[in-house]
Amino acid sequence: MDGRRGGAGHGMRRREWTMSAPSLGWLVVFFAIPTTYILVLSFRPANPLGGVGEGWSLESWRRVFQPEYYAIYARTAWISGAATAICLLLGTPVAYTMARAPARTRAWLLTLVVVPFWTNFLVRIFAWKVLLHPDGLIRHLFGALRLIGPEVSLLNRPEAVLLVLVYTYLPFAILPIYAAADSFDFGLLEAARDLGASRFSAIVRVFLPGIRRGLGVAALLVLIPALGSYLIPDLVGGTRSVMVGNKITQRAFTDRNWPEAAALASLLTVAVFVPLLAVLRRPGSEAGR
Amino acid sequence: MKRYLGIALAALTAILGTTACGSRRPVLHVYTWADYFDMDVVRQFEREFGCRVRIDNFASNEELYAKLRAGATGYDVIFPTTYMVHLMRRENMLIPLDREQLPNLVHLDPKFRAISADPDNAYSVPYMFGTTGLGWRTDRVPEDFEASWTVFANPEFRGRMSMLADMREAMGAALKTLGYSLNSTDPGELAAAGELLKAWKPQLARYDSEGYRNSLASAELVVVQGYSGDIIMIREDDEVEEVRYAVPREGGSLWADEMAIPAGARQVELAHAFINFFHRPEIAAQNMEYNYYHCPNMAAYELLDDDFLSDPVIFFLLHGDPELLAKCEFIEDLGEANALYTRIWDEVRAAR
Repeated sequence: MDGRRGGAGHGMRRREWTMSAPSLGWLVVFFAIPTTYILVLSFRPANPLGGVGEGWSLESWRRVFQPEYYAIYARTAWISGAATAICLLLGTPVAYTMARAPARTRAWLLTLVVVPFWTNFLVRIFAWKVLLHPDGLIRHLFGALRLIGPEVSLLNRPEAVLLVLVYTYLPFAILPIYAAADSFDFGLLEAARDLGASRFSAIVRVFLPGIRRGLGVAALLVLIPALGSYLIPDLVGGTRSVMVGNKITQRAFTDRNWPEAAALASLLTVAVFVPLLAVLRRPGSEAGR
Repeated sequence: MKRYLGIALAALTAILGTTACGSRRPVLHVYTWADYFDMDVVRQFEREFGCRVRIDNFASNEELYAKLRAGATGYDVIFPTTYMVHLMRRENMLIPLDREQLPNLVHLDPKFRAISADPDNAYSVPYMFGTTGLGWRTDRVPEDFEASWTVFANPEFRGRMSMLADMREAMGAALKTLGYSLNSTDPGELAAAGELLKAWKPQLARYDSEGYRNSLASAELVVVQGYSGDIIMIREDDEVEEVRYAVPREGGSLWADEMAIPAGARQVELAHAFINFFHRPEIAAQNMEYNYYHCPNMAAYELLDDDFLSDPVIFFLLHGDPELLAKCEFIEDLGEANALYTRIWDEVRAAR
């Protein structure tokens, strides 16, 4: 994450250490220690009165691998996986257009991507509740076009969660792809066309591999927060949209079962780390060259 | 130039002076439900007692409990519900009250002593009584609509109804519908209640304890399980006249939120003053008119309009249908049996 390279000279080593000490300290204090604490907590027994019991126990870990959790894991995986895929699919053409646009237009497009952040996240979710309201404009339009039956609700369902996730995280996908596309040498596309590649195959075989680092970062920036989403399923999801984040909240706040909440949180941390390491450790995945 | 400097210096001293003065005023930290008292009342308290009041909100008793268990200190007054008072008291999380500092407790309505969490007010003082029942919109239901929990089985309102995201309230509604106690610990009865909740689930839009007020006001939801005062507030304050509330014919849950001082409170004396202030008759009346719940303060009753005081929804314990009242129960803490509820509630929420 700190971008250090293996082959640095010996004389540089001490300087590197002093330079990275603040960020390392930050990571230890605000990431390593809390995460370890949560992990340790998951091996303690639960106390029905809340809090944590004495001694050690594997009960929480046994519980989180019970079949009733599988539906929630599967739902969390498909909703966040689909959100990531859709964001990449929508973000790439946008980033491509932005990178090829003249400088003035590009500045405007960039501003437009960032503008939604001027409004509070919560307010934007509530705006979706208004848009998808059963008496709302979109619902009436779809109904009038006979796209959906009168009993179908647009709100309170997993698809609504997916829609709002894509909406929320799309800018996070566009920006890194754009950064990669910006340093991509578009002359290569023309070369590919000159050598007989179709427009489509030039994009797929030259452009996409050229920006794969950007695509990887974009995928992470969407997948990681999507896996841990809590607020969006809580507000626009229904009875069948509970994700792991919501379950952790329920365990910690209403069930007074902290060890199980800790086990779930640890599981989520692992789920986040696997794709992170997969992207970061891929050798030679430099953008553009 | 010098003149401006003088003015600037004077202004600066004034600012420093006020902040220094302000920092000497003690701060009372109150942890309570959202929209639970008139802010004018709080401002009056601040003026009278020369202090500042900081208010923080929780959405469920469990959240309050979890936060205090997690070591949150610094709250001086909290508003837990009866069953939570019992649990907190057992866990030594409350400070005993000094009756000398609470002279206004003479106004407490003795009728409710027996059902209070703490009849002697050794650790807590009742603030408001309320009920949990059904809220609905008259413009979206047939004219012969009758409040019954079985409405959740009705496919006509599919996707437009919600139940509270509260294990005890949701399970309670199912247990009442089956004719059992909402404090049942019988595994067979609880399993049956779980099955009933699973049968209701496909008709529900979601389980929701906070957002349902807005959703009922905007008619996104048509029938909701909710708290009496919250739903009356939609009609009275948001002026949505189509909203109605009733305790269902099978019975609902009764509850009392109490005022208590948590262990670790820094402003114990001021906290007593706050609790006592809330039972000053005119203040209790003002709060009732604000939140549409029932404060068991007899002197305050006399300050209310007859119309208000005879409202069978707000004063359900006084003027509700006695037959229906007999079917209602207070939620009690279940200790170990809590785990059984959690398991069944989990099954319900995981069900397809």
